[in-house]
Amino acid sequence: MTNEIDLSQLPPAEPYDKARDEAQRARLMKAWAAPKGWKIVSAVNNSFIGKWYLLTSFAFFTFAGLLALLMRAQLAVPENDLVSQSLFNQLFTLHGTAMMFLFAVPIFEAVAILILPEILGARDLPFPRLSGFGYWCFLIGGIFVCGSIFFGVAPSGGWFMYTPLSSDPRFSDLGADIWLLGLSFIEVSSIAAAVELIVGVLKSRPPGMRLNLMPLYCWYVLVVAGMILFAFPPLIAGDLLLEMERAFGWAFFDVDRGGDPMLWQHLFWIFGHPEVYIIFLPSIALIATMLPTFAGRPMVGHSWIVLSAVGVAFLSFGLWVHHMFTTGLPEISLSFFSAASEAVAVPTGIQIFCFIATMLVAEVRPSVPMLFAGGALAIFVFGGLTGVMVALVPFDWQAHDSYFVVAHLHYTLIGGMLFPLFAGIVYWYPFVTQKMMNDRGGKWAFWLMFGGFNLAFLPMHWTGVMGMPRRVWTYQLTDGWAVLNMVSTIGAFVFAAGFAVFAINVLWPRGKQPLVTRNVWNAGTMEWGAEVPDKPWGVRSIPYIHTRYPLWEQPELLGEMDRGEWLLPDAEEGKREMIVTDILDARPLFVQRVGGPSFLPIGAGVSLGAVFIIATFHLWTLTLLCFAAFVAFTLTWLWTGTARVPEAPEKYVGRGLTLPTYAQGNRAVGWWAVFITMTGDMTAFTGLVFSYFFYWTALPNFLPEAARLPAVLPLTAGVVLLLAAWCMTVFARSTLGKGGRGLSMALLIGALPVGALGIAAWAWAAQAAGLDPTRDSFDAMVWMLILWMFLHLLLSWVMHLYVAARIAANICQPEYRADLMNLTLFGHFNAITAVVTFALLALFPMLMGV
Amino acid sequence: MPKTPHYDAPSVMDQGSIWILVAAPSIWAAHFLVSYWVAAVYCAKSTTGALGGLMEPRWIAVWLGLACIAVIAWLGVIAVRRYGGVFVIFEEITESSERGRDKFIGHVALLLCVLSVVAIVFTIIPGLVFNEC
Repeated sequence: MTNEIDLSQLPPAEPYDKARDEAQRARLMKAWAAPKGWKIVSAVNNSFIGKWYLLTSFAFFTFAGLLALLMRAQLAVPENDLVSQSLFNQLFTLHGTAMMFLFAVPIFEAVAILILPEILGARDLPFPRLSGFGYWCFLIGGIFVCGSIFFGVAPSGGWFMYTPLSSDPRFSDLGADIWLLGLSFIEVSSIAAAVELIVGVLKSRPPGMRLNLMPLYCWYVLVVAGMILFAFPPLIAGDLLLEMERAFGWAFFDVDRGGDPMLWQHLFWIFGHPEVYIIFLPSIALIATMLPTFAGRPMVGHSWIVLSAVGVAFLSFGLWVHHMFTTGLPEISLSFFSAASEAVAVPTGIQIFCFIATMLVAEVRPSVPMLFAGGALAIFVFGGLTGVMVALVPFDWQAHDSYFVVAHLHYTLIGGMLFPLFAGIVYWYPFVTQKMMNDRGGKWAFWLMFGGFNLAFLPMHWTGVMGMPRRVWTYQLTDGWAVLNMVSTIGAFVFAAGFAVFAINVLWPRGKQPLVTRNVWNAGTMEWGAEVPDKPWGVRSIPYIHTRYPLWEQPELLGEMDRGEWLLPDAEEGKREMIVTDILDARPLFVQRVGGPSFLPIGAGVSLGAVFIIATFHLWTLTLLCFAAFVAFTLTWLWTGTARVPEAPEKYVGRGLTLPTYAQGNRAVGWWAVFITMTGDMTAFTGLVFSYFFYWTALPNFLPEAARLPAVLPLTAGVVLLLAAWCMTVFARSTLGKGGRGLSMALLIGALPVGALGIAAWAWAAQAAGLDPTRDSFDAMVWMLILWMFLHLLLSWVMHLYVAARIAANICQPEYRADLMNLTLFGHFNAITAVVTFALLALFPMLMGV
Repeated sequence: MPKTPHYDAPSVMDQGSIWILVAAPSIWAAHFLVSYWVAAVYCAKSTTGALGGLMEPRWIAVWLGLACIAVIAWLGVIAVRRYGGVFVIFEEITESSERGRDKFIGHVALLLCVLSVVAIVFTIIPGLVFNEC
């Protein structure tokens, strides 16, 4: 290819000098040290954020587990009145919601933030403050949603919040708003983590770690983070529609006003089914990472597992209607989804077979992590097989909404996600704490949990087949479900006891216990190269990797890294730095400064949390004030922490290599972050476009007569003006590149009124046609599309002013104009939104002959 | 003498890049969605609900599916010829070179082609059985 540096031919390191080594270590220590005392909350190191994330997720898991025990206690005997029916509804809703949104998804982010940088041999992920921001959003949103049950206002419509139960004010109250706004807020943190992790895997690999050498864990993280980008936004779009209906009476789901409750089911499950795999894949990734360690050999079928991860990621998006088999959709449609639901078992099975093959060709060392992994495979395969059963439409019609489904989903999730996770916790515990967990405690925990789990959930298959519907508050003795329910309840408590043993084992103070030896499990992946006792910098120097299992296959590596013989062994300027590499071959591209401890992400997280929480109570003025605070925090964070002009254009990083210190355009990590975020944003917009076509398909008279359509002329004028504003932004970029600072600023600011006129033309067109969003679904849809465009314009105006100010302050310069390049990229996506919206508002009705 | 790298990051759309990894499953996704949309719109807008004739949903799924399989086969040929992809079970493509990376991508792309064809066939089969919406 181009001028490639042969990393294997770099000049040798300078001879070891103890004084230099110590001085370098001292400087690195100073740059990477965590704040002391209470200020520790401002830490953004992946090791801190990851640990907090993990503990917080487990706190929510424990909470949701206690709710489940209450439910099991209620169902233990017939005609029980331990809890009221209303509380029971809140219990199962919050149990599902918390387990899914506050535990299963965040735990993926937690584990990945904690171990990914070290597996990559990187100092940290490229946006540590973004991880911090995501964590604080998660914490606040989670407490808000969970806390609601103590005030008796927890959501009670089931974790998938079906309309009209959740949209009609007669059946729902504040709980539905708490669910919608609280979880939308948490989705922000998921998407933030997805951006962080994708850029992390693509751009922060150690030099030399080509795609074929990348550890399986990284493949899984990449795939799952990508899935989050395409799965979560449709739900955000759905949340937006439902909350607009609840708060302002817009007609989306109300049949009387031309809405359709089925739309919610589609949007929810387009998110909801991939989510199952978003939960499952990262946990299976943990098994894929630890299994080679205990087998003492590389994974059999490494590439087959990559195939299976990528294949599952795609196929899992073709399954959503299998949650809707009983809604009366045409059978031919159901059959497509049934077929895809069967097909997804193929790649899922492949990875399981790879695991079994690895265990067969090697002698697996018995250990607690392997115990959990074995239990996981057994339970998951069972749950997967019942999954193949319910993927068949006729069987599903019988089992739908019964306890059979409850049993199936717990077998897949607990086998596919929880047990592998526990295996991972035992395995990586020494990595995080440098101490070993108690072995006997681990075995007790496993057998209690494994036995308790099967005792609780195996009978549910029969209770389901015998006709017990899920979510019932109580039942009659004559129903004949009493014995099985009692067994399930006993099993649930045994399972909980196992978890308690496990939790005590994790949290047990181990002050006096000796530290573990380095690479205690004799693993092959980079994270076990961490020094004991641990250092805050991740790696002493960033190594050249040319094997899949570096600690096994590059035995000289650890010594070289420790002596600072590899790249970036120093922090001369006292700043936190990492090396960014290219996507395919991980060739070093430039040195990236990363953010250190800061209160700004906390400020941004808290104020954004306040926006969502206060909006629940419809206190709009206060909501806007908090939003202003959020914008202020975010802008300060960006202004002081990102795209700073470097003191020197290049930096010597060791081994004869000098790298640039600034990057812009598609070399920069910031550009990729914008690109990935906007891909997610575009998916949410696609959710709205889908809604439009859904109405058109499902409703006979969705498109009104010509008189009620917005006029084509103002719509065309609007799109022309919006595109003109976009062209001005693009032109500003090239102008600044040629040194025209004044003209560039003028173009950026001038784009504001042009865009404003454009959106005003659209709003006028809708207004003049007399469209009233509370009257009809078509009117509501048109206004929603215009509102979406308007919100994006507002955001782009803030960004335009910000970049203009950066040019004025001479931070954004002709040679260093990353800010403006990122803004232009944002503009490209907005331009696409404008064109598609125009097509829906003006062209499609014309095409349909209205 | 310090050495400065003068190369740019290679474009992800070039030869030796990763587009081929997502191409085959994307074709499956496109075929799946189009089949679903055609069926949904047809069943919602048709007055009889009966299926028959060659331009109706299930046949569209079949014709389109065959076309997609042909394209995927062509992708498979690219994966083998240009990338050097091989169909092996015990893969050990751990060579630290551009060629090694290409071979790995070609190999995984080939596997994904096979999986995508299987998934498309799965989508086609029910259409051959059902006679009405």
